[in-house]
Amino acid sequence: MSEVTHDASSKRIIVKRKLKLSQIVGFLILLAVTITMLSPVWFMLSTSLKTTKEMLMFPPTIIPKVFAWENFRELFTNTEIKFGQQYKNSLIVGIFTVIGTVLSSSFVAFGFARYKGKGSGLMFMLVLSTLMLPYPAIMIPQFLLFMNLGLHDSLLPLILPAFFGSAYMIFLLRQFFSTLPDELYNAGRIDGCSEFRLYWNITLPLAGPALATVAIFSFIWSWNDLLTPVLYLDSQENFTLPVGMAAMLSSKFRLAPWNLLMAASILSVLPIIVLFAVAQKRFVEGIVLTGIK
Amino acid sequence: MKNKKWLSITAILALSMFATACSNGGNEGSGKEKQVTITHYTIDSPDRTFVEKLIPEFEAKHPNIKVKVTKAPYEQFDSKLQSSIAAKNAPDVTSHWGYGGFMEYYNKDMLMDMTPYFEDFKAADYNIPEDVMNIYKVDGKTYGIPLNSYVTVMLYNKDLFDKAGLPYPPTDYEDKSWTFDKMVEYAKKLTVDSENLEEAQYGVDFGFGERDQRPQYFGANVYSDDTWTNGGKPTEINLTKPDVIDAYKTLYGLIHDLKVSPTPAFSQSVSGQFGDPFLSGKIAMSVVGSWSLAAAADFNFKVGVAAVPVSPKGDVRSVLYVDPLFVLKDSKHPKEAAEWIKFLVTTEIQEKSIELSGGNPPVNQAAAEKYYSNFEGIDPAGIKQVFEGAYKYGFESYNHLISNYSQINELFINELSGVENGKQKVEDVLPVIEQKLKDLLARVNK
Repeated sequence: MSEVTHDASSKRIIVKRKLKLSQIVGFLILLAVTITMLSPVWFMLSTSLKTTKEMLMFPPTIIPKVFAWENFRELFTNTEIKFGQQYKNSLIVGIFTVIGTVLSSSFVAFGFARYKGKGSGLMFMLVLSTLMLPYPAIMIPQFLLFMNLGLHDSLLPLILPAFFGSAYMIFLLRQFFSTLPDELYNAGRIDGCSEFRLYWNITLPLAGPALATVAIFSFIWSWNDLLTPVLYLDSQENFTLPVGMAAMLSSKFRLAPWNLLMAASILSVLPIIVLFAVAQKRFVEGIVLTGIK
Repeated sequence: MKNKKWLSITAILALSMFATACSNGGNEGSGKEKQVTITHYTIDSPDRTFVEKLIPEFEAKHPNIKVKVTKAPYEQFDSKLQSSIAAKNAPDVTSHWGYGGFMEYYNKDMLMDMTPYFEDFKAADYNIPEDVMNIYKVDGKTYGIPLNSYVTVMLYNKDLFDKAGLPYPPTDYEDKSWTFDKMVEYAKKLTVDSENLEEAQYGVDFGFGERDQRPQYFGANVYSDDTWTNGGKPTEINLTKPDVIDAYKTLYGLIHDLKVSPTPAFSQSVSGQFGDPFLSGKIAMSVVGSWSLAAAADFNFKVGVAAVPVSPKGDVRSVLYVDPLFVLKDSKHPKEAAEWIKFLVTTEIQEKSIELSGGNPPVNQAAAEKYYSNFEGIDPAGIKQVFEGAYKYGFESYNHLISNYSQINELFINELSGVENGKQKVEDVLPVIEQKLKDLLARVNK
């Protein structure tokens, strides 16, 4: 089927393959699917570079006739949009949410996974039952709470709840921590480890993949959240990206600036892509049981 | 065992310390001053948030009042308002800029009776037409002051008219030769029926008000007349009356029998994200709200403004969309809020607002003169004639007048979609809507 030739000049072995018809067909199908899947992304890119007039053209142009790079500049220079400030706010909220969720949820999960006592099962059920409460049910009481604490119209109501654990993340981490062998902890105790160090120096380093999952989820949830910031934030300086971007669409009387919105969308997916690229390594790395036979 | 207890105690201590630390920051600004801050809550969009730029001038004139603008995106406008009210943090001044209308706010008991604060306020001093003022009076009490007034206009694509060699439609509402039938006749000449999307074009898109208001153009009324006087609660639904059925048949006949109007599928495929097929240059005439004018400079074709044609029966030819300002019931500073509202409707400020907002039509008729000359390439005298005719032959939009309108509107949209697609017949669908609407009204208007 394949012949091997020796290419003297580059000293590399080149494998020439004769493709079967079925492989070609398969390739073409894959290509078609890929193009279909990528076309919205392409459309986003191309719209982000169109002028308003070209954006309204029918049939729509696939490649912009004039590349309107100024759309990206306008996002940062237009004082009514305040895109840069909102980007910063979203990053602040996202980063602190990740720190808060990872720390508090892993701490609680550690407790649930490693200690058994009277009522610990019931406590765990209680934590899980909060998953069943939809956000609108606690929206107003929570709003009142933060109002009375005087934290309304600041980023704190968006960040603070993360430091008190999230039921879903606690569940996820507890399941993971439960799989860690007791021998590890016993060995640690024999060596004089305090309970906190068992958590900090043994559990957390071994839980890389689970923590990466928690970090990614909590970041994405916070990054995409629209309703909470809408409720709490009043001043434009405090708005997060979703609020700002929803506002671009919000006039029923005006043409939506889709080109600006698409440019904003491209910039706003970047942190997610970066985070995923970074955290993905940890997914693969996680070989937990090394050292125990 | 000891360790475990220690752990839980420290955890609880840490949490409670954290909580108390937070609560200390709470009660600032308790020292009371004479200065008062009022909040103006609005949609986060340049045509609404421009009021921020007017604040310095207002505060200079009223040193004891500070104005703060809070905002939310259109879709979230109502939920933020509801939760602020529930949390006793209601804004002082706002409008029905979300999905709800005046009657919805009034029936939910959200509005303050502003009569005492507007005793010295004469609509004529602010050039506000008396009948526009009256929309927001219930039993002689004032619950809102109009701010902007949009009308319904006919926009037409001059390029398509030129290509077909047709004369432009008139701007004068008194020109009785401009009839519905004439419009259909023009539309036939302007329609290119083709499978090819690039060639296809349609004569007219008759987007007159929301779906339940459209029969009004044909002299038929879906709701009994008491709706307009008893707080927006219809006692009778006329969907199965012959004149209403005929009205819907004529309307949807434009799409399916005469084929001079676009199907929803066509509209969707040519308008894409913009929601209006007229913008893509595929529609010759479009009956729409006048806000579409604000984007006219960005169209890829020359646009004209004309009168809505004379209706076959009946004389309502325009839907009016008046945006008022309300003071909410929980407001602690209604007097100061009233000052701010009065400031916003003065001729000078209304004139300024046109440019700052990017073309909002002022309710103040003196300022309106300036508004008419705001559109590049469109004759101001023509726009003025269209607006004045529309006021004369106009009726306030149902969504501002009927209680629980968002649910009613949704019902119409869902149930009529079969007719719009050409899959169902008007006479089969209307009785179904009538029954569902009766059930709905019985439930919500208890």
